[in-house]
Amino acid sequence: MILCLVAILFPFISAIAILDGVKSQSRISVDEGANIYVTMDMYGRNGVIPIEMVEPIKKVDGVIKAVPRAIGRIYISGKLSVLLGIPMDELSSVSFIKGTLPKSGEIVIGKGMADALNLNINDSITIGVRIMAIIDDTPYIIKREYRIAGIFDSQSGIWASDLVMMSIDDANSVFETEGFATDIAVYVKPGYEASVSKSLQRINTFFRLQTKGLVKTYFERGFNIKGGIFAALYTLAFALAIPAILVSSGFGMSERRKEIGILKATGWQTHDVLETVLFENMVLAMISAPLSFIISFVWVRLFNGFFIAQFFIAGIESIPSFPVPSKFMPLPFLLSIFFSLVLTMVGSIYSAWRAATVPPAEALR
Amino acid sequence: MSFIRCECVWKIYNEAKPYEVRALEDVSLNIEKDSFVIFTGPSGSGKTTLISIIGCIDRQTRGRVYIDGKDLTDLSDIALSSLRQKRTGFVFQNFNLIQGLPAWENVSMPLIPMGIKENNRKHTAIHLLKRVGLSERHEHSPEEMSGGEQQRVAIARALVNNPDIIILDEPTSNIDVDAVGLLIDILSDLKREGKTILMASHDENMLKNADIIHELKRGRLVK
Repeated sequence: MILCLVAILFPFISAIAILDGVKSQSRISVDEGANIYVTMDMYGRNGVIPIEMVEPIKKVDGVIKAVPRAIGRIYISGKLSVLLGIPMDELSSVSFIKGTLPKSGEIVIGKGMADALNLNINDSITIGVRIMAIIDDTPYIIKREYRIAGIFDSQSGIWASDLVMMSIDDANSVFETEGFATDIAVYVKPGYEASVSKSLQRINTFFRLQTKGLVKTYFERGFNIKGGIFAALYTLAFALAIPAILVSSGFGMSERRKEIGILKATGWQTHDVLETVLFENMVLAMISAPLSFIISFVWVRLFNGFFIAQFFIAGIESIPSFPVPSKFMPLPFLLSIFFSLVLTMVGSIYSAWRAATVPPAEALR
Repeated sequence: MSFIRCECVWKIYNEAKPYEVRALEDVSLNIEKDSFVIFTGPSGSGKTTLISIIGCIDRQTRGRVYIDGKDLTDLSDIALSSLRQKRTGFVFQNFNLIQGLPAWENVSMPLIPMGIKENNRKHTAIHLLKRVGLSERHEHSPEEMSGGEQQRVAIARALVNNPDIIILDEPTSNIDVDAVGLLIDILSDLKREGKTILMASHDENMLKNADIIHELKRGRLVK
């Protein structure tokens, strides 16, 4: 019975812990990031923005700095990763495990990627392979080779694990978007976000502005959808678990029925029997919930959320290559006690009541 | 007025169905207080059914049963449980002990709903186990005991609430000869204490000790 409850509760607690951990880390990332992200409107969606727009943006009152970024997804040795191109001086804040800041033609990669692809300093990797033309059955290929100058610490967050960073000029060369940035990250003085937004909109009416608040909303929405999907799946699992619990808790089991018959035959009242069953269920719930909590804690912290984490963090495999963020809060713990109680009650109270309300001779037969 | 009285008692299983079974048919009898009564008869004659109804663990289909003038027929589940708790002690043919629990806990089980503290329950249970010759085995669970020992634990449990009616169902069917002798001694003591003993049995050794023998055949009282 306890094992059955743990099997139901453990994924629930683990998933909620990971979801809360990822959410928390996302919030921190957004909080530490830029105040406004500027792109160009391209038929109602985000389009690239000319890098020359950085200068007028910098001059807006309240702006601390404006950082052009080139961001895109690329494959490196078959592994999907994120390429981030930013000005060289912005890379100085990255904490390196090995190597140094990259120069032109060099890149730095996250530890997760280095471990996964067995890469080291001075290794070369090919990025942005493209067939330009096929003439007389001969493909003309563009290949760009980059030397790994440094490996940075991916402990800092789940987003950094599979990240490749290089200068924005090199990134633009890979994406073939010379002179443009994917967006411009604008950092402003406290209290200036609204006035800077207005000024930016005045500079160019085709600017699309995403404020920190908006980015947070997108994050929350994304996690809520994931959380909702999980809740729906869990409800289904929960519903399927009830018959399993019914069987394991003694629905129709002659042994349990016989025990209740013995108790009734020796003078127990029906309410005495039900009180005992209730107490047993509470004990089961009080054992199962903390046990599930401990197993979840060990699973997520020691085994790094093996298998479970992939459902909540996009683009990772069953064995995550970075420490999976997690946050064990009291609410899931209390909920797991509640779920245990509900499951055991549904599974046993009715069958116990039925056994206790027939004549003992019938229950013992 | 008789201490226990049965008036035209019928017990029918699956009544009005093609596979209806008449376990008891029109049984009427009177049992006096402090008597040792044995119901005998072949297997399936209705002995167990009759003592189960008198012992308040089953209900008759028709007829009336009185204990000390109280009609059991229309008693609620609560009232019947209360009667079982205060007045009857039942020793089942297969003992019906709870596996995995030590002997003393099995014996003291009826005392739990009375709110008696564990220490007192244990003390009472060990005292009764001593009386049936099992004081050394109070921590042993039923699965570690012989049939005769389990039966003595069941007897101690039947006595724990100090009932005035002790009911035993085929008590010699699962025990050896030595245990039968010990059982007769225990029952003699109980009779001396003024307990009314009802038993379903066809064991000659038991029949010799009975005050009254009722014979049942195919659910009818024939003697």
